[in-house]
Amino acid sequence: MRKFKIQNVKCKIIVFLIFAILILNLTFLDKASAELTVDVQPNHIGIGFFYHGGKVNVSGITSPDTDIIMTITSPEGYQTLKRKGKVGGLFWMNTGTLNFEKVSSLYILTSTKKIKDILSKEEINKYLIGYEALENHIDISPVSNEQEKMKWWLEFVKFHEASKLYEISHGRITLKQGTAGIPAGGEGVKAKQTYCISSNWPYQAVPDTYTVTVYATRDGKIVEKAEKNVFVEQVGIIKFLANMAKDKGALYGIISIVVALSVGFSVGMIFRKGGAH
Amino acid sequence: MYFYLPVALTSINIFIPVGIGLAVGLLLGLFGVGGGFLITPLLIMFGIPSTVAAATGLNQIVGASTSGTYAHWRVGNVDFKMGFHLLSGGFIGGLFGVHAIKILRAMGNADFAIKMTYVLMLGIVGTYMFIESIQSMRKKKVEKVEEVKPERKSGISGFLKSLPLQTYYEKSGVTHSALVPIILGVFVGILAAIMGVGGGFLMVPVMIYMLRIPMHVMVGTSLFQILFICIEVTFLQAYINHTVDFILSVLLLLGSTIGAQIGVVFNRRLKTEQLKILLASIVLAVTVKIILELTLTPSLLLSQAGGHG
Repeated sequence: MRKFKIQNVKCKIIVFLIFAILILNLTFLDKASAELTVDVQPNHIGIGFFYHGGKVNVSGITSPDTDIIMTITSPEGYQTLKRKGKVGGLFWMNTGTLNFEKVSSLYILTSTKKIKDILSKEEINKYLIGYEALENHIDISPVSNEQEKMKWWLEFVKFHEASKLYEISHGRITLKQGTAGIPAGGEGVKAKQTYCISSNWPYQAVPDTYTVTVYATRDGKIVEKAEKNVFVEQVGIIKFLANMAKDKGALYGIISIVVALSVGFSVGMIFRKGGAH
Repeated sequence: MYFYLPVALTSINIFIPVGIGLAVGLLLGLFGVGGGFLITPLLIMFGIPSTVAAATGLNQIVGASTSGTYAHWRVGNVDFKMGFHLLSGGFIGGLFGVHAIKILRAMGNADFAIKMTYVLMLGIVGTYMFIESIQSMRKKKVEKVEEVKPERKSGISGFLKSLPLQTYYEKSGVTHSALVPIILGVFVGILAAIMGVGGGFLMVPVMIYMLRIPMHVMVGTSLFQILFICIEVTFLQAYINHTVDFILSVLLLLGSTIGAQIGVVFNRRLKTEQLKILLASIVLAVTVKIILELTLTPSLLLSQAGGHG
């Protein structure tokens, strides 16, 4: 009886050890299979005097047979916008404001193929990929029903697309099989891919920390995800003036007025000397 | 060449604000109208947030009206007495306007009421000026030598004469109750506060037709009054709302101060009727623009909150 008990404990320990090894193995295997990398150049954008936006290059390595989706987003926040409506059935007027919550001020998405062709609906909603998924995620008030919410969400997208802050595209990602240092696949082994995205960085994007997220997809699912941040900040005279306008409003106002008065007066004097009359 | 604007948080081609400034400066020098009605929508059109557009527009009007006032003062076109009376009314009106806008907003569709009033007033003033200018131009051609008829005493002018505090304004060569420019100033101050415009656009025609002030003196005096109102509002906007963009303002100033000087030169060379007909055409064009904005479906149904527009 006692012998049987000891054997039973031994058996339990062995099962536990096998289970633990399996879990550890799976964990390490998963790490070892993490092949998606991301690099963003430049990852620091300084807004100076002659700033007019620019380009951001996103590149990296991904597993073979995967598609790529890239998003650039700002931290979520809220925005209050004026809404226009028809008054008296004839005139278009501002008829109040709408609050948009949990929205990004910047949303750029690009993918190798159309999102619907490379990702299932569940995954689209889970990872908030595209405008439709975002619509379910955000809140708009005041709206009376889902239809109205959808209408104003589309208007929100249109408003931001007009200033290049929202953009969805596909087919602009360069994918190449095999990379330097990575053996091009032997028989039955496929080489890793490199991807490269050149994205326009809109000058309308305000100073903030933006996140570049790259997803690798296969068979309608996201198999890997990698992230990098892009810091946008004002520098030099722009930073000086912006801080002054915010922190020393009275002095800033007086300087603005004095400059305006002196410019006006000087031009008046120049024209007088030039003999305009 | 692009410049980044630290308060508007956007980048702009240098030729856009300089061009806008030039056009607005020309109007300022020619007619003494501030151009607030023109500059704010134009800046918004080029991607400047409405609050920054309105406040910075006012700051550039400070520069342009300094240049214009100085040029008019040199040729003796500024009626300081009239200017101070308008100004005192303007300050009271500005304060009153800030409260009036709160009441109007609480009542409901304030924007609609304001815009409709504006359309009606501009439409009536523009049409009247246009017809009157054409008539007087024709008359001058046909009956050049005809004797000047004694001025008709209309109901309005009779009422104006009956008011107390009758004052002689030497520069303008007219006698009016001091209450008239003060009340007019109050009215313009209210408009400036509510609509974010200088109000010169309405004041100039009213002063020409109601107060019978010579066009040239009126323009100089209006500029003088606009200068002080805009200084007050610019300071308040910078101090309270932080919406004045220094770089945008300097770029606008570059264009507008030169434009104002050119405007003053033309103002001296053009005849009063020609000036009136030009101003009437612009008033009517602005009226049509507002009507179109009100009736055509806008491309975007959302806009930045916090400004006029």
